Amino acid sequence: MILINYLASFFLIVLGLYCIVTKYDLLKSVIGLSIIDYGVNLLIITIGFNPGGTAPIFSFGELNPESFFVDPIPQALTLTSIVIGACVTAMSLSLVIKIREMYGTTDTHEIRRLRG
Amino acid sequence: MMQHYPILAIMTYFLGAFLIVIFGKNRTVRNAVGFLATAVPLCLLITLVKPVMMGGDIIAYWMGGRVPAGGYAIGIALEVDALSLFFGLLVATAVFAAMLYSFSYMSHDDNEPQYYTLFLMLCGGVMGLVLSGDLFNMFIMVEILTFAAVALTAFRNSVFGALEAAFKYLVVGSIGSSCILAGTIMLYAQAHTLNFAQLSAMIPGNLNLATTVAYALLFIGFCTKAFLVPFHPLAADAHGAAPAPVSVLISGVLTKSGLYGIIRLTYILFRTMNLGTVQFWLVFLGSVSMFVCVTMALAQHDFKRLLAFHSISQIGYVLTAAGLATALGVSAGLYHAMNHTLFKGLLFLCAGAVLHETGTTDLDKLGGLSKKMPHTTVLFLVGAFSISGIPPFNGFASKWLIYQAAYQKGVESGNIGFLLVTICCLVTSTLTLASFVKVTQSVFFGQLPKEYENVREVSFGMRLAMGLLALLCIVTGLFPGLVTTFLTEPAARAVFGANHYINAMMGAGYAESFGLADMLPVSFYSAGVWSPISWLCLLMIMLLAVAIVAVSSKYDQVSALAKTAAAAEAAAVAGPRYGSGSPAEGKYELFFGGEESVYSQVGGDDMFWGFKHNWRHYFSFMHNLHSGIVNDYALWAVIALALAMLYAMIIL
Repeated sequence: MILINYLASFFLIVLGLYCIVTKYDLLKSVIGLSIIDYGVNLLIITIGFNPGGTAPIFSFGELNPESFFVDPIPQALTLTSIVIGACVTAMSLSLVIKIREMYGTTDTHEIRRLRG
Repeated sequence: MMQHYPILAIMTYFLGAFLIVIFGKNRTVRNAVGFLATAVPLCLLITLVKPVMMGGDIIAYWMGGRVPAGGYAIGIALEVDALSLFFGLLVATAVFAAMLYSFSYMSHDDNEPQYYTLFLMLCGGVMGLVLSGDLFNMFIMVEILTFAAVALTAFRNSVFGALEAAFKYLVVGSIGSSCILAGTIMLYAQAHTLNFAQLSAMIPGNLNLATTVAYALLFIGFCTKAFLVPFHPLAADAHGAAPAPVSVLISGVLTKSGLYGIIRLTYILFRTMNLGTVQFWLVFLGSVSMFVCVTMALAQHDFKRLLAFHSISQIGYVLTAAGLATALGVSAGLYHAMNHTLFKGLLFLCAGAVLHETGTTDLDKLGGLSKKMPHTTVLFLVGAFSISGIPPFNGFASKWLIYQAAYQKGVESGNIGFLLVTICCLVTSTLTLASFVKVTQSVFFGQLPKEYENVREVSFGMRLAMGLLALLCIVTGLFPGLVTTFLTEPAARAVFGANHYINAMMGAGYAESFGLADMLPVSFYSAGVWSPISWLCLLMIMLLAVAIVAVSSKYDQVSALAKTAAAAEAAAVAGPRYGSGSPAEGKYELFFGGEESVYSQVGGDDMFWGFKHNWRHYFSFMHNLHSGIVNDYALWAVIALALAMLYAMIIL
C-alpha cells in the first residue's frame, strides 16, 4: 500500500519532468510543473502516513505514549505546498497569456529571442 | 531584546510590503515606507555585529516561545550565527542601495506601488532564508523570493524578452524549488525534525541512501537559486530584462541565498567537506561556472546581459574558494561574495543609469557617454576596476586571497589539479578585465553618437546610491585586514564550528551526544608569499625588461611604427575637422561643405575580434548550446539532477 504510494509519487515527478523536457508548448510545461508538484505532495503525505493511525487531534492530557496517530506535520507541509503549487500555476498561466499576446504563439521553439 | 532583532528584520520587509499595498498611492508615503523598511533591518543587523561577530554569540529565536523539549525541536526557529549575519548584512546593504536608486529610477513607470511591494517581498524572502533555522521555513522563503523575482523580471513586460525570461526562470526555478521540497521531506522522513541544528546533529552520523539522495536534491535546488552552470542562461535572461535595481537584487542578493544554502548544506548539515570527492565537485563546478560564463560574457552585445554572465562567473570564484575546505579558502570566498554584491550592484546600477538616459543597453549603439555622464563614468570605473581585481579596490584583495588559498591547497595536498584551478582563476580574471575594457570603451569612451547629444547626468538620488556602493568598494579594498578580522573570519569559523551552533540551539552537549567532532582546527595562515610589494617589484622589473628590449633591439621598427601611427592619427584628426564641426560653428558649414564625418566608434564586437576569430568554434558551439528554448534549459536541469543523484548514491 505504502510502496505503491512511493512508486506513484516518483512516477509522477518523473512524468512531470519528462513533460517539461519533451513537450514544445508553454501550456504543457505548466502542466508538467503541476504534475511534479502533485508527485511531491503525494510523497509528503505518504511519509506522514501510519497505517492504522488515528487522526492527530488530542486535547491536553489525552495524549499518552500508547496513542498511535498519523504524523500531523507533513499534512501541514502539504497544505502549504498545495497553496504554493496553485500560485506557480496561476503565475505561469498569466505569463503564458501575456506571451501569447506578444508573440502570437505558445511554441517554445519560437519563443527564443534571448539566446546565445 | 537582542534575540528579537532577526524576526523584526524579516518582518519589517514584509510589513513594508503590506503597508505599500494599502497606502502606496501617495508617492511621499510610499517612498518613506520603502526607505524605512530597508533602513531599519540594516540598522538592526549592524547592531548584531558586536555580539555575533566579535563575541561569537549565536542568537536563537523560537517562534511562539516553543523551545526544544526532550532533545526534539518542534517549533520554528530563527538563528543568527556569524555566517547568517554575514549574508544578512550583504542582503540588507544591497537592498538599501537598490531602494535608494529605485526612487528616481522607477518614477516614470506605472504600477509603482506593485513594484515596491514585490521588491520588499523579495528582500523579506532572502532575509528570511538566511536567518532561518528551519529547513521547511527555508523552502517557503525560497518560494517567496522566486515568485517575487519572476514577477519583477516581467515587471516591464513591454521590454524585449522580459516575459520570455520570466517564464524560463519560473519553469527552471520551480523545478529547483520542488527539488528543495522533496529533499526537505526526505530528510524529515529520516530524522523526524525540520530544525536545522537538530538535523545537523542527526544526519552526518547516519548517511544512508535516502539522506544522500536528499543531499543531491537540496544541492541542485540551491544551485538553481545561485544560477551556477548549467543554470546560468536563466540569470542572463532575467538580468537583461529586469529593471536595474531588480538586477542588483537578483545578482547581488538572490545568488547569495543560493550560495548560503550550498555552504550550509555541505559544511554544516551534512559535514561532507572533509571528503575529497565533494571538494573536487564543488571546485570543479565553481571553475566551470567561472570560465564558461566569462567567455560567454565576452561574446555579448548587451550591457546588462554581459554583466549578468560576469555575475555568475564571480559566483564561480566564491564556490571554488568555498570548495577548498580550508579556513583561508572559505574566508576568501566569503570576502569575494561580499565584494561581488558591492561591485556587481554598482555596475548594474551604472548600466541602469545608462539605460535610463539613453534608452538602450546595446553596446554597439552606445559610445562616448563620459562627456555627458562624468559621474556615472567614474563610478562605473570604480566598479570595473573592482571586478577586474585592480589593486586598491576590493576585488583585488579577495581574488588574491582566493589564489593564495587555491595554491596553498594544491601545495599541501600535493594535487596538481588545485594549481590548475589557480591558473583558471587567473585566466578568468584576465578575461574579466578584457571584457570590461570592451564595455568601458564602447559605452563611455570613444565617439558620442548624434542621438545622445542631449543625454544628461542622472539624478542625485541615483548617484547617491551608486556612490554608496562605490565608497564601500573602495573602503573594503583599502582595509582588507579589518574586513577579514571582523566579517569573514568569524563567518568562516562559524562554517567550521558546527558543534557550537548545534549546542547553542539545542542545549549544551547535544552535538557531542551524537559523537560529532568539528571538522578541523581553524587557522588562517597563507602559503607565505604574501607580500603585494614584492609582486609589485616583480611587475616593475618585468616592465623595465620589456622596455629595455623594446628600446634596444627593436628601436627602428618601433619608431617606424610610431611614425606611421602618428601620421595616421594626424590624418584622422585633420580629416573630419572641416566636415562635422560643432553646432556652434554651423555657419561655416556652407564654406567647407563636404560630407559629415563618418561615425567611427569601436563597437563592442570589434574590440577582440582576433581573439574571437581564433576561438570561433568554441564561441559558435556555446552560442548554439544556449539556444533559448526552455525545454533545453529544463533538460540541463534534469541532467544535473540525475548526475547529482547518481553521484550521491554511488560515492557518498
